[in-house]
Amino acid sequence: MKPAPFRYARPATAAEAVALLASAPGEAKLLAGGQSLMPLLNMRLARPAVLVDVNGLGELARIEPGPDGGLVVGALVRHSDLAASPLVRERAPLLAAAARHVGHTAIRNRGTLGGSLAHADPAAELPAAVLALDAAVGLLGPRGMRRVAAADFFRGLLSTALAADELLARVIVPAAPPGWGFAEMARRPGDFALAGVAVTLGARGHARIVGFGLADRPLRLRGAEALAAAAPRDPTMPARAGAAAGADCDPATDVHASAEYRRHLATVLTEDALREAVGRLGS
Amino acid sequence: MTTGLTPLERLRIRLAVNGAEVEREVEARLSLADFLRQDLGLTGTHVGCEHGVCGACTVLVDGRTARSCLLLAAQADGARVTTIEGLTPAEGLSPLQEAFRACHAMQCGFCTPGMIVASTELLAAAPAPSEAEVREALAGNLCMCTGYVNIVRAVLQAARAGAASPGR
Amino acid sequence: MSERAGGWVGAPVPLKEDARLVAGRGRFLDDLDRGRLLHAAMLRSPHAHARIVRVDASAAAAMPGVHAVLTGAQAAERSGPIRPLIPTTASVPDHCLAVDRVRYVGEPVAAVAAVDRATAEDALERIVVEYEPLPAVVDPEAAMRPGAPLLYPALGSNVVWHDAFTYGDVDGALARADGVLRERFVFQRYASTPLETFGAVAEYDPGTDAYEFWTNDQRPGLTISILAASLGVPQARVRLHCPDIGGAFGNKRRPAYLLTCALLARSANRPVKWVEDRIENLTALMHACNGIMDVELAYRADGTLLALSVRDVADEGKNLLTPTQHNLIKLGNLANGYRIPAVRYEAWSVLTNKCPSGANRGIGKPFMCFAMERAMTLLARRLGLDPADLRLRNYVTAAEMPYTTPPGAQYDSGDYPATLRRALERFDYAGWRAEQARARAEGRLLGIGIATSVEPAGTNLASYELVTGRRAASGSAEAAMVRVEPDGQVRASLGDPSSGQGYETVVAQIVADVLGVTPEAVSVARGFDSATTPWLYLSGNYSNKFSVTDVGAVVGAATRVRDKLLRIAAHRLEIDAADLELRDGAAVVRGAPDRRLPLGELARTAYADVLGLPPGEEPGLEAHHIHQNPLARPVDADRRVRSQLVFANAAHCCLVEIDPRTGRIALRRYVVVHDCGREINPLIVEGMVHGSTVHGIGAALLEEFRYDEGGQLLTSTFMDYLKPTALDVPAIEVDRLEHPSPVTPLGAKGVGEGGAIPGPAAVANAVEDALAHLGVVVRSLPITPEQVWRWLRSGTAGTA
Repeated sequence: MKPAPFRYARPATAAEAVALLASAPGEAKLLAGGQSLMPLLNMRLARPAVLVDVNGLGELARIEPGPDGGLVVGALVRHSDLAASPLVRERAPLLAAAARHVGHTAIRNRGTLGGSLAHADPAAELPAAVLALDAAVGLLGPRGMRRVAAADFFRGLLSTALAADELLARVIVPAAPPGWGFAEMARRPGDFALAGVAVTLGARGHARIVGFGLADRPLRLRGAEALAAAAPRDPTMPARAGAAAGADCDPATDVHASAEYRRHLATVLTEDALREAVGRLGS
Repeated sequence: MTTGLTPLERLRIRLAVNGAEVEREVEARLSLADFLRQDLGLTGTHVGCEHGVCGACTVLVDGRTARSCLLLAAQADGARVTTIEGLTPAEGLSPLQEAFRACHAMQCGFCTPGMIVASTELLAAAPAPSEAEVREALAGNLCMCTGYVNIVRAVLQAARAGAASPGR
Repeated sequence: MSERAGGWVGAPVPLKEDARLVAGRGRFLDDLDRGRLLHAAMLRSPHAHARIVRVDASAAAAMPGVHAVLTGAQAAERSGPIRPLIPTTASVPDHCLAVDRVRYVGEPVAAVAAVDRATAEDALERIVVEYEPLPAVVDPEAAMRPGAPLLYPALGSNVVWHDAFTYGDVDGALARADGVLRERFVFQRYASTPLETFGAVAEYDPGTDAYEFWTNDQRPGLTISILAASLGVPQARVRLHCPDIGGAFGNKRRPAYLLTCALLARSANRPVKWVEDRIENLTALMHACNGIMDVELAYRADGTLLALSVRDVADEGKNLLTPTQHNLIKLGNLANGYRIPAVRYEAWSVLTNKCPSGANRGIGKPFMCFAMERAMTLLARRLGLDPADLRLRNYVTAAEMPYTTPPGAQYDSGDYPATLRRALERFDYAGWRAEQARARAEGRLLGIGIATSVEPAGTNLASYELVTGRRAASGSAEAAMVRVEPDGQVRASLGDPSSGQGYETVVAQIVADVLGVTPEAVSVARGFDSATTPWLYLSGNYSNKFSVTDVGAVVGAATRVRDKLLRIAAHRLEIDAADLELRDGAAVVRGAPDRRLPLGELARTAYADVLGLPPGEEPGLEAHHIHQNPLARPVDADRRVRSQLVFANAAHCCLVEIDPRTGRIALRRYVVVHDCGREINPLIVEGMVHGSTVHGIGAALLEEFRYDEGGQLLTSTFMDYLKPTALDVPAIEVDRLEHPSPVTPLGAKGVGEGGAIPGPAAVANAVEDALAHLGVVVRSLPITPEQVWRWLRSGTAGTA
């Protein structure tokens, strides 16, 4: 399985990368970790005329503290590094936890945060974590950097707000609530999730419960959120919110799982993730 | 190497493979796995799926495991690549390889180089892993012959014997 | 290791092969290079069933870097059809490429040879094929019905074989029984999927009109025969090599691909290499038959089995070359290890628009064993008996050996009750039953599964007469060569290419014992080369035959060489050969160890100083031997036959825990007690048990080739076709009994298929046991968490 022919470019700066995208409108694809894109190329399911390798853009590989107690994570940060970073574990542990669940070690060594978000597989962990953290993405295009909230970034199946001439440069994560939880169910450890849930929980009225594998994009489970926000410390809340989560989604049936089962997993995993989150709320 | 603003269908790459500097011209779409095997004759790295699942093609790139079927040779320009050949001493076998041999941790041998590379990374990060940690580290490498039992034993044995340094 | 005096057979000798494999120094098919090598790619049908209206490869042929193109029409002109192994129907020519019709998604339609694989794949995109899609049939029962789309209209049916075999008074037993258990079991399509895919290099020499192949084909004897016939050359002008093979398990045999490469090589006048990629492998190489088995098990109230009647529909996909293989194997092993006086087997071999069926690890027996062991477990539940007790009541016992089953299989030795008892003891069956009850009270769902099976080895091709009506081939044999070189070192060669079973080491052990040397002194040829390896039509890796035939060939050849060495030594020492033995690399006078002649010295006489040979003795120290297992017989008048020859056995006992919230199945413990007779190398044997058992677990919980109604394969990558990883299986615990076979040269029995046979049943029994309080019945595989969740939810007996 060899790719169709393409031309390869390795820009030295993000600006160059953007210029390359602009020079081959609609025909260029960015190559970051390659763990999702290369199989598609090998199978000839993707056939870009130009491949723009952004792995050399060190400026996009940093993890820095954000001004408000949050984080700014460069798009090229590898999942392994995201999972291991003390700063991420301190300020946005949900992100580190999500990264730990991606594939296997070799995949995490190459796969990038930006790549995962831009590819937007509905069963992927990081888009859900990013949405649960109310993060925003910085998109760099010919007209400069624009900021898009995660909620507006994921538009549909493998489809985002990223324009053809834009590069996802970084993820801006605000200060994270104290409570967080993560649960997923896959056929084998490391496989794409059949379903999963990423949760952030504050002590007073904040709850984000985001499902993945439950829709064509990461999905906020709003009924569950309302219950969680209303009574975060109520011991019956996780089960109640879990029950509501099933009604909050309308998943699809595919070769790996039925809609019904996914809906059930939404319930179970929401409950599990919320229990974890409540446990981290502290007193 | 950067190509500036001119995408290329063929390009010149220079990288270190098993400690030796290598310079070649390659087609852009050539995978690192195919480059190692065909251009450099390093056939110890095997191809089992070309979609990043089986792990037979695992090599170290700048010290970390990577699926060479999902990397372009072009991407490896400037990198330090280590294959099974680079993890094998000039004479004899490494302690990790000895443990594999002593435990009969292979049958057909096709997954073995990938297993050795993945185990090397594990032992460098965790010199005294538990069985669960070994299984987790090797979960991205499929074996169709051994049922994994002897492979896990071999890695644990190698760990006990102190076979932790990468490149040994 | 070097200090041991004899006794290499039975010793856990570290494998010679492992030293090169662990260093990445194996030489596998895709590692081979030839001068001016071209690379091929295959254009494959996107339709499950379609007429080919037009193929235009001219644009592809004109592409730079493309050196040969082959269409089905050209293949049919330039080569004869592939000869079927089991011709079931009037001959329907099957060429190496589809000619007028495609019958499964992925069927090769055209091929290209180019400077590299990427260019070849680019060229495939320039080949224009016009198809007229036809209705496809995917379900075997639908394929059997009148009006179903026919793969071969000329045959008038998709059923290429249907027959029934009755041994004993089955109807009488069913009528007289205290009860009859009736169940339907469904088995999915799956495959062993060796990590190295199939492939070949083909080279044509116009000067000698001869072909040379390198391939990981596991049945070189048969393949050479087929290729020569299709290419229209004598077999002597077909040379075939096998390098290191990265796993085979029955899958690696498809002469059509070699033929395609040969035609491309001839056309391009350059060697051509083709290696299938993983999608091609999963889509189009071969799948084990899926199917449906309807079982009737007649019993007495005390659990004694009276009769077994089975209806078996095997879905062969598009396979006119080896259909009925799975059926025949099931027929031969139908009684499993039980004493069942009357047996009936009615079977259909059905074509559908899916990947061709083929041999797989266990070939048919995993399904047969699933049906039988599931039926036994359900019967135990019905009678209120412990599943182990019901089995113990019905096993053929050691005292009854050799025991002939109704279809004609002869169990040579073994103690099936003792094997199960040991497994239960190692597992701590009583302890875990108690723990299971405690856990149930806490809401935790533990399940214990038992499954046992016989594991046949060797094959008797005469059994094909049951299908074809005539005896074209029979028995089974293998060839070996042993030679003491002029330097006193030993060389050996076997007609069966290893694919991970360690033949280079095992053969060395056997020869070392016979010749009184160490295994290091014996070099065993890697792989296979038809010009130098001893071989015959029956040579190859199939039916678990190593212990049954190959060992005999090696022992025979080594023994001839030994006898000659002793004759030469006796002549030189002027004593009787009976007073000599081979030990420590020399011929030694018994009781007088200082009177010895080293092998090198004997070789000097044999090769150089030939006047020193005994009168009438020929120079040289080389012997060939072909071993045919004496148990093979023709089909008898009652249609009974020993289709396989020697029987190992095993008992599996495993523990699962079900997560009641998600249905996830965790396999917590897995114990195997097996008896393969004399173990030639315990390291290899244990490895085989581990690996084969994991194949069984994969079939039980993960693996399935799924098609949609249009015949599109939905699971064509390793992302969707799921294989067990190190996190999916526990450490398999192995213990052994040893009841040597009285009918093989070293008493060894087969061990290559082992756990793949009862594994699926053991895991299924465990899952069902965990859910027994809900009345769940497991009738099909794989068992997914979703399926478990559905059972838990419904809380009632349900079909999978």
